[in-house]
Amino acid sequence: MNILSLLNSIPLYGICGGIIAFVAVVCVIFLIRAYRAGVAIGMDQTRLKQVILSSATFSVLPSVGILLGVIALSGSLGTPWPWLRLSVIGALHYETQVAQAAAEQVGMTSLSAREMTPQNFVTIALLMSICIIWGMALSVIFNKSYLKKLQKNTRKESSQGGFGDQAMSAMFIGLVSAYIGSYIGGFVSGNGLFTFSGSILPLIVVAVSGLAMALCLYLSEKKKKVWIDSFSIAGSMLLGMAAAVIANLYL
Amino acid sequence: MNNESFEKYNAGTHILGRIFSVITLVLLVGAPFLIGLFLGAMPDLSAVGKGFLSVGIIWFVSSIVEFLVYTPMLGAGGGYLAFITGNLINMKIPCAINARDQVGAKSGTPENEIISTLSIATSSLVTILVLALGVLLLVPLQPVLQSEVLQPAFENVVPALFGAMAYKYFRGNLKIAAAPLVLMSLLFILVPSLTGSTSFMIIPSGGLAIGIAFLFYRQKAKALAQETDLHTKAGDKS
Repeated sequence: MNILSLLNSIPLYGICGGIIAFVAVVCVIFLIRAYRAGVAIGMDQTRLKQVILSSATFSVLPSVGILLGVIALSGSLGTPWPWLRLSVIGALHYETQVAQAAAEQVGMTSLSAREMTPQNFVTIALLMSICIIWGMALSVIFNKSYLKKLQKNTRKESSQGGFGDQAMSAMFIGLVSAYIGSYIGGFVSGNGLFTFSGSILPLIVVAVSGLAMALCLYLSEKKKKVWIDSFSIAGSMLLGMAAAVIANLYL
Repeated sequence: MNNESFEKYNAGTHILGRIFSVITLVLLVGAPFLIGLFLGAMPDLSAVGKGFLSVGIIWFVSSIVEFLVYTPMLGAGGGYLAFITGNLINMKIPCAINARDQVGAKSGTPENEIISTLSIATSSLVTILVLALGVLLLVPLQPVLQSEVLQPAFENVVPALFGAMAYKYFRGNLKIAAAPLVLMSLLFILVPSLTGSTSFMIIPSGGLAIGIAFLFYRQKAKALAQETDLHTKAGDKS
């Protein structure tokens, strides 16, 4: 039996699928508790359902992108392990890098099935786990006290007007700015300083999905088509991604 | 539900969050050993130790930053779930922020806690479902997902997400967004190698945006205080 057949065998699917099923149950428990608590504090059930619907439509396309990460890693690590990692705890942009770095640590020249042995695999798998568990570990230890401290500050602030919300929005604006800046930098200097020969596709996608979002907000706010809110992000993303396919044919 | 019972809900969230996080931690770290029993090989712990010291430290520092920055955005339930299920920057954070804005919930309120948890739980379940279906249908789906024509679409999921979110957030906050956007663009143009560390660049970019937002907040608060002062004085005279 070659290494990929071993890594794609039923026991591995069982182990990884079992952990994923456990996490799915955890999500269902949190979902139900939050919904009930929302109803109990008097939140509008239609709004709660709208949040669930819009979060679901929002997540479909990025999830397909994550599925591609599973496929990309499955050639060297089999399918069950990347399936587990990208369903639970992992992040699309981390996994390939960590797996590659872990492969180098066990003496492989590259992350490939050709050089993979059972011991290399379990060592890489353990290193991948240990590298990325810290957010969860910090949550276990500090989430409660950190939020308590923040809430104290928020209460103090709200008596003076409150800056918390603006800080959150500003942090998110900073996050988006960093990514858009990286696309601009990639185009202008990606293949050498000021050569303007890097990939322009991300910028085209940003522009198209931004315009699509503008249209959705116009329809929702000015034309009172409020239902569009739940699909505005997913629809804008879809148009942006379609623009990438079309633009790529002409570039 | 009164304040007291919401506190109870919150306390329950922390208990469940901690228990489930610890179980997930044990499962994730234990899985390679369990798989090792089946494969007849155990992890090389010295390689794991060396590997952690050379690459893991970076992720450790990154995790501390992610925890400090994202926990206030996600609240208790959303925070535990997001750190269990991962994919924070490219999905969970934008999803929670979008849901919060849709409802108009203010941070630190019970509404925000509920909305954040609902959105992260839903988002995680959708990912789990899409990946499970994808893995189940891997053979028929692979040619479609890996077709050369569609590759640019799948390679640009994150720009598509941030393009839509940028319009939504920049339009009402142009004065806050301009400086970090210009600064980040210049940095990435002048130091192209930074592209590999975009997730770290969120910190200075976010810090700058928060700083500018704070200046505007202070300005507005001062103007409001002066206006109130004037009204009070006018009231006293009359």
